[in-house]
Amino acid sequence: MSIEVKDLSFSYGRIVALDGVTLRLGEGAVGLLGPNGAGKSTLLRILLGFLVPQRGEGRVLEYDIRRSQAMIRRSVGYMPESDCFIGGMDAVMFTAYFGELSGMPRQEAMKRAHEVLFYVGLGEARYRLLDTYSAGMKQRLKLAQALVHDPKILFLDEPTSNLDPTGRAEILDLIKDIATNKSIQVILSSHILDDIESVCSSVVILNKGKLAAEGRMDDLRTIRYSLYEIRIKGDEEAFRRELEGRGCKVDETEDRLIKVYMPEGADRMDLFRAAVGAGVQLRSFVKSRTSLEDLFAGAVGVD
Amino acid sequence: MAVVREKGYTHWDGRLAERRFPWLPITRTGIRLAFRKRGFKFVFAGAFLPAFVALGGLYVSERLEDFKALVQSNRALIKIDPNYFKLFLTNQSALFWLVLVLVFAGAGLIAEDLKHNSLQLYFARPLGKKDYIIGKMSVAAFFITVLTALPWLVLIVFKLIFAGSFAFLLAYPWLPLSILGYSALLTMFFGSYVLLMSALSRNTRYVIVLVFGVYYFSGILSETLRHFFPTPYMSLFSIPDNL
Repeated sequence: MSIEVKDLSFSYGRIVALDGVTLRLGEGAVGLLGPNGAGKSTLLRILLGFLVPQRGEGRVLEYDIRRSQAMIRRSVGYMPESDCFIGGMDAVMFTAYFGELSGMPRQEAMKRAHEVLFYVGLGEARYRLLDTYSAGMKQRLKLAQALVHDPKILFLDEPTSNLDPTGRAEILDLIKDIATNKSIQVILSSHILDDIESVCSSVVILNKGKLAAEGRMDDLRTIRYSLYEIRIKGDEEAFRRELEGRGCKVDETEDRLIKVYMPEGADRMDLFRAAVGAGVQLRSFVKSRTSLEDLFAGAVGVD
Repeated sequence: MAVVREKGYTHWDGRLAERRFPWLPITRTGIRLAFRKRGFKFVFAGAFLPAFVALGGLYVSERLEDFKALVQSNRALIKIDPNYFKLFLTNQSALFWLVLVLVFAGAGLIAEDLKHNSLQLYFARPLGKKDYIIGKMSVAAFFITVLTALPWLVLIVFKLIFAGSFAFLLAYPWLPLSILGYSALLTMFFGSYVLLMSALSRNTRYVIVLVFGVYYFSGILSETLRHFFPTPYMSLFSIPDNL
């Protein structure tokens, strides 16, 4: 396991940010999800060694999060959410500078900066002053400085914020490539569920400082419930009552598509029995893939 | 936005070293960035003006024969002793140039990092707060040392060369040490002063106003107080007077 935390707790004064979180994260890309104030950033800061937990313990790449913070920071890359650069520098100088600060020899850092800047698509703009960079270029630059020392784990905090759809797709494309082909573990914290769904194989959902759900996306989808999308002809209200009586959760979309969430272990024939019971015709019946949005809503208890 | 053209990411096969002085890249980059600023090279060169004037004085004093036409009496044209060095080192114009250089090179040291949120990038590396502060302070220390200790030690060497003997150094063997001591004092004071001011605002222009303002306001305050309370102790309020 590359990241392992046990009973991790942290408070800002009276406000509890993390409350007894226990996690084990293995290989691949992991999405960190949760509403505002769920404790995602605090967890990232503790894993990076910026904050010392008040209770609990943890290890990142076998380094203790309390005692070996410098070693952790040497082995991981961090791409913060907010825009950050150093005025008066060009991209090569900036990236090489942070490579050097990570412990790379000066010449190596410079050589590596060129490689990484080409990789993130800033090759042709690498000698331009950073003050003139667009929002998308600054995002790529942040990714470049996080990659320059070839980290084993990459922490990405809202990597697609402030990006237009094209820029977002390109950054996600890069992150996907890093996570799948470059054997670098990616921890992606984002509010955008689509981003996590398209990149990550596992997800950790935090809510009010506690762990709400954790695991491989596919497992979470199947374990919790099965989702069916149905169209009917007849009394929708009666059908809903029949389904709810059988322990199902029912949602209806604007175009009259009925989403039925069947609890784990329920028999799908119950759908047909409910239709018979309500006297309605089933016009369409599709077993749907549970979206991350559904998982998230289920885990944090929001509709 | 540039298109992603290359996917050629390769792993780096080197080994990350644990540096003895992890702050050194901060200092080196800070000095490089200062020289990239528009007009800084002129200001930096201008700051050596007092030293060049002093060098001229040294030359004239040792080559008195060549300048005899300028002298009416047999008095020495310029007397070279420790007071000569003190006069140039501590006069207000030399300190003004020093503050000017520090405004260019030091005002943005922390303010720029605050403005562009780059502190989190520094501390995501194996750097402590101490390393960061030492790295930034060393930028100011470099310029102060280069402008105070270096030229005046070189001037002593010039004095010996012009005189063709070690008599001056033998007469005042403590002079190089006192120059170094004064330079160290200026480094400690101005380094902390500029760094403190730089940490007070995200806007470099405000920091520049603060650096100049506090420095010269203390002088004005001291003069004003001296007007009402005519005692030399009022100089304690003045930064320039204390230096």
